[in-house]
Amino acid sequence: MAVAEALPVQAPRPAWSRNLPIVLPAAVAALMVAACFLGPWVLPLAPPTGGNVLESYLPSFTPGHLLGTDPNGNDILSRVLHGGQSSLTVAVSVNVLGLLAGGSLGALSGHLGGIGDTIIMRLLDVLIAFPSLVLILAVAQSLGPSQTNTILALAFFSVPAFARISRAATLRLREQPFMAAAELCGTPGWRILLRHVAPNIIPQLTTFAMLGMGLIIVIEGALSFLGLGIQPPAPSWGNMIAQGQQSLSATPMLVVWPCLALFVTVLAFNLLGESLRSRWSGE
Amino acid sequence: MTAAVATRPRLARVTSSPSLRLIGKRVLMAVPILLGVSVLTFWVLNLIPGSAAQQLLGAEATPEQIRALEQQLGLDRPAPVRYLQWLGAAVTGDLGTSMVSGQPVTGLLGDHLAVSGELLALAFLFSLGAAVPVALLAAFRPHGWFDRLSMLVSITGLSVANYVLALLLVLVFAVNMAVFPAIGFIPLSESVGGNLHSLVLPALGLGIPLFCMYTRFLRGDLVDQLQGEDYITTARAKGIGPWRVLLLHAFRNSAFGLITVVGLNLGTLIGATVIIEQIFALPGLGQLLLQAINTRDYVVVQACVVLFAVVTVAANLLADLLYAVLDPRIRYGSR
Amino acid sequence: MRPRAAKRVPSTRASLIPAVLSLLLVATACGSGGGAVDARPSGPPQRGGELTVLADASFGGGWPTGLDPATNTTGGANISQMFAVYGGLFQLRARNDDGSGAEVVPHQAESYELLDGGRNVRITLREGLRFSDGTPMDAEAVAFNLRRAMSSPCTCRPAWPLADNGVSVEDPRTVVLHFTRPYGAAINSMPTSNANWIASPTALRQLGEEAFKITPVGAGPFVVESNKLSSELVLKRNPDYFEPGLPYLDKLTFKSIGGDQPAYQALLAGQAQAYEGLNTTPLLEQARSSGRLVVTAQPPTSPYVVQLNTEAAPFNDKRARDAIYAATDFRAISQGLFRGQYPVSQSFTGAGGLFHRDTVEGYPPHDPARARQLVAEMGGLTVELGTLGNYVAQQVMTALQTQWQQAGIKVNVHKYELSTLVQQFNSGKWQSMLQTAGAWDPASGVGVAFRFNSASPFSGVSDPALDELLNSAAATADPAQRQALYDQAGKHISANAYAPFGLAFAPANLATEGVHGPGLTTKIPPMLVNSGILWDEVWRERQ
Repeated sequence: MAVAEALPVQAPRPAWSRNLPIVLPAAVAALMVAACFLGPWVLPLAPPTGGNVLESYLPSFTPGHLLGTDPNGNDILSRVLHGGQSSLTVAVSVNVLGLLAGGSLGALSGHLGGIGDTIIMRLLDVLIAFPSLVLILAVAQSLGPSQTNTILALAFFSVPAFARISRAATLRLREQPFMAAAELCGTPGWRILLRHVAPNIIPQLTTFAMLGMGLIIVIEGALSFLGLGIQPPAPSWGNMIAQGQQSLSATPMLVVWPCLALFVTVLAFNLLGESLRSRWSGE
Repeated sequence: MTAAVATRPRLARVTSSPSLRLIGKRVLMAVPILLGVSVLTFWVLNLIPGSAAQQLLGAEATPEQIRALEQQLGLDRPAPVRYLQWLGAAVTGDLGTSMVSGQPVTGLLGDHLAVSGELLALAFLFSLGAAVPVALLAAFRPHGWFDRLSMLVSITGLSVANYVLALLLVLVFAVNMAVFPAIGFIPLSESVGGNLHSLVLPALGLGIPLFCMYTRFLRGDLVDQLQGEDYITTARAKGIGPWRVLLLHAFRNSAFGLITVVGLNLGTLIGATVIIEQIFALPGLGQLLLQAINTRDYVVVQACVVLFAVVTVAANLLADLLYAVLDPRIRYGSR
Repeated sequence: MRPRAAKRVPSTRASLIPAVLSLLLVATACGSGGGAVDARPSGPPQRGGELTVLADASFGGGWPTGLDPATNTTGGANISQMFAVYGGLFQLRARNDDGSGAEVVPHQAESYELLDGGRNVRITLREGLRFSDGTPMDAEAVAFNLRRAMSSPCTCRPAWPLADNGVSVEDPRTVVLHFTRPYGAAINSMPTSNANWIASPTALRQLGEEAFKITPVGAGPFVVESNKLSSELVLKRNPDYFEPGLPYLDKLTFKSIGGDQPAYQALLAGQAQAYEGLNTTPLLEQARSSGRLVVTAQPPTSPYVVQLNTEAAPFNDKRARDAIYAATDFRAISQGLFRGQYPVSQSFTGAGGLFHRDTVEGYPPHDPARARQLVAEMGGLTVELGTLGNYVAQQVMTALQTQWQQAGIKVNVHKYELSTLVQQFNSGKWQSMLQTAGAWDPASGVGVAFRFNSASPFSGVSDPALDELLNSAAATADPAQRQALYDQAGKHISANAYAPFGLAFAPANLATEGVHGPGLTTKIPPMLVNSGILWDEVWRERQ
């Protein structure tokens, strides 16, 4: 990066340099995804559960247990990788669901205007005004906490945020000359939404979704903190942090490793989102 | 702040009758929203297994003991009847008494709201107060060293879970340096200094992620405005100085995006306050809500949720109105 | 527009941050080191000073229904607060600082007498007892409270087989309890039941129930100054407390806190001077080596037990139960999860409790080969194992799952909420549950009968012979006879493989340097979960 910075601004930059801001975080993110989903099959690791309880609390860098073991004697590296699977699955599913549902609702609402806009936004207001914690708790306790239930509950509550962002972007878009031109040409509404609105609001939504990746991984952890997320012994970064923090001062490494994994992954997604956003916005 | 000063001349137009009518309409519309929220809450609470009686008596209670207490608490009546009774009283301003403690709910809400309100206000004050200048400085020279540093800090902050951050703050500032208390709340009435002192760490724990989020959002939006919008090009062509362009033109337009984000945040913040209040042992609304959910005290949950809904609806209404004030291109009256 | 140079934050540099963060975390976590603090005071107790004590919000730090003994529903968790406000008719004291020689002794009561072989109990009060509102605490007041306690919805309500009109007043200082059958555990069960706490009937009438549960009036060592439910209880010294010179402290504040870790930090930050009920083993070890805190691990009384539902498949087959006994290795769990801090029990008592025996004759040993063989004989075994959702229990459950699976048993684990746990028991479809059994006196509280007597809704066993043993043990007044009966019951449970027992676990109390008191810095066996701290005798050295 430092090299790229030092180049004279006018000089045409080589392709690798122009693409680096996208490629590098994408590579890190891909590496994390690959490590989590392929690592457990490729590396000679112990399973994430069913460890020998007599090998509990081993420190990091113990031979055979690179990152040490947890109170039940499970290999932490294995748990971090398997935990990444759950955390990533939850985060991706929630954001994809939220983006699709919220994005289209918001764009529709902003495009329609008038009564339709009012009805959609007021319904979403009810959702925004309703503390998600109560519903997530109800879902977790009546259906039993599980990955699917967590995803559905979180996605449900991410819809209004996507919708509002998408609506705000659509509203601003409406003032653009090309929109007026499209409408004057008699282009049908769905076509305007698909051809003109969608490509223009997607960068904003994607930025938000990339931010959302980290946010959801963190929120999944928060749910675990309250005992409502993915249930141990099955690992997720969230529940590993939540469990480890119960003795944070004595066993900090139980928290540090999942935190690091979470951190690097979230950072990669954030940077990727940022780069994509500026690329799309024509910077 | 800056925005408010800049828009004062416009206020006259906004307060003209169409806007007043808009406010009236939105306030009226808040009624079904609140009703919807309260029905939803009641229904959802009834989905959760276990009653207040069960939760109060614990794992050792026999079914007879539970039935007896349920009768005592009035839980033997059907749910719709209980809802209507609650609603009837709530309309007259009587939120009832807690099923668990027998204390009037309005008093409970007041006590806990004072704590959470102050915590939130401090967190917003800190996060916005820091995010706006940082984002402006960063956007002034995009990709300069300050911009990079601020992005680094904000992305870092966003990647740390708030419960980890809070514990880290406690470890560093309360345990190792002993400059702030680790837990507890000193009421404003007892000591103003002590009160602020006791809220510094929780407010930071809540505010730092917000600061990061706002900085990132505002900086991104400012840069967009500076690069993409015609009026900026026009302003620049007119020879207006870069700071004036940034402050008077770009910032005023970016502010409304920020306001949306702040408005949206209020909703997610209740979850964060629950956790922060838990870690710092603050007797706030989040703690009250969590406790009430755990004890199935639906009277208190209902009141918390409705209060929360009122605040959110009001905040959104305000955000929508400010939209109209700040972006000259969106005018509600003209729709 | 200005062309962009390469821009984004370099990832390599950014990833330094977590590394720095984690270093900081480790550095701050390690803190100061070295040596245990001497718990013994440097001189005689001193009067004066204030003390703040923390308790976990999910247990002792929760008093959502207030502190009226008749309407409080979390009595088992609030013994500490209740003692500070009411004092108590009886209390559990240990003769020695290591917790041995514990017995229930009269406190506000002066003496008691078991009459007619335990069918009646006569309690005599001390002379001149007064509530802090000035009204006398006489036999009428006590009888009023005992009758009120019996109608309480709390599970801490006395489990007495009380006759109709079973509470009578003989004279202003004497109350007599009349039982329908001999009840030898009457006095031992006192300190854990709400009958122990005597509230001022006058104050109750004047304030009304709703206000009284917030600012209750008793005759205990402290008077309520302010009370925020499940958050903060501020007490000041009761100058008219019956014990001359006591309490030592001028002010005592109970604060609720969200768990062991924040409590540990608050103590190190000097915000509180004591913490009741530390469960987290790594923190216990860290507190011990911190050199700044006095750690008092209480003698355990309640062992873990894996309840097996002998009424339903698969555990109506003794081979399945034998397989579980043979597959379970609590010694390894104690060693691994709890760093060998707690001894493993073979019966329903812990080393700190009454009638404890270290071993039970014929208790089946850990034998994975035998377990595998039994499972093969049965053609496979699939088991549902559940527990109430707390952190430590969940870890134990996970360890059990692993051990059983190694013996070829297929295990599905479930974390239950209170209500779903009770549903499981009521449905009768549950198979195995990780629970705790026992109390200081097996006949009181969540004692052995609770988990093993066929009359209990939370029992997995229906065995008339065992019922008979447990009932007679509870009814008997003679300790030697009770010991013999409980020995037999322990052997009976083990011989029928009704439920394997685990390590006996008791929380520890933490105190900062210079704080002393029975139950806080000396050992007293916990009657139910936490040890009863005798707050009137807690004192602080002057700084």
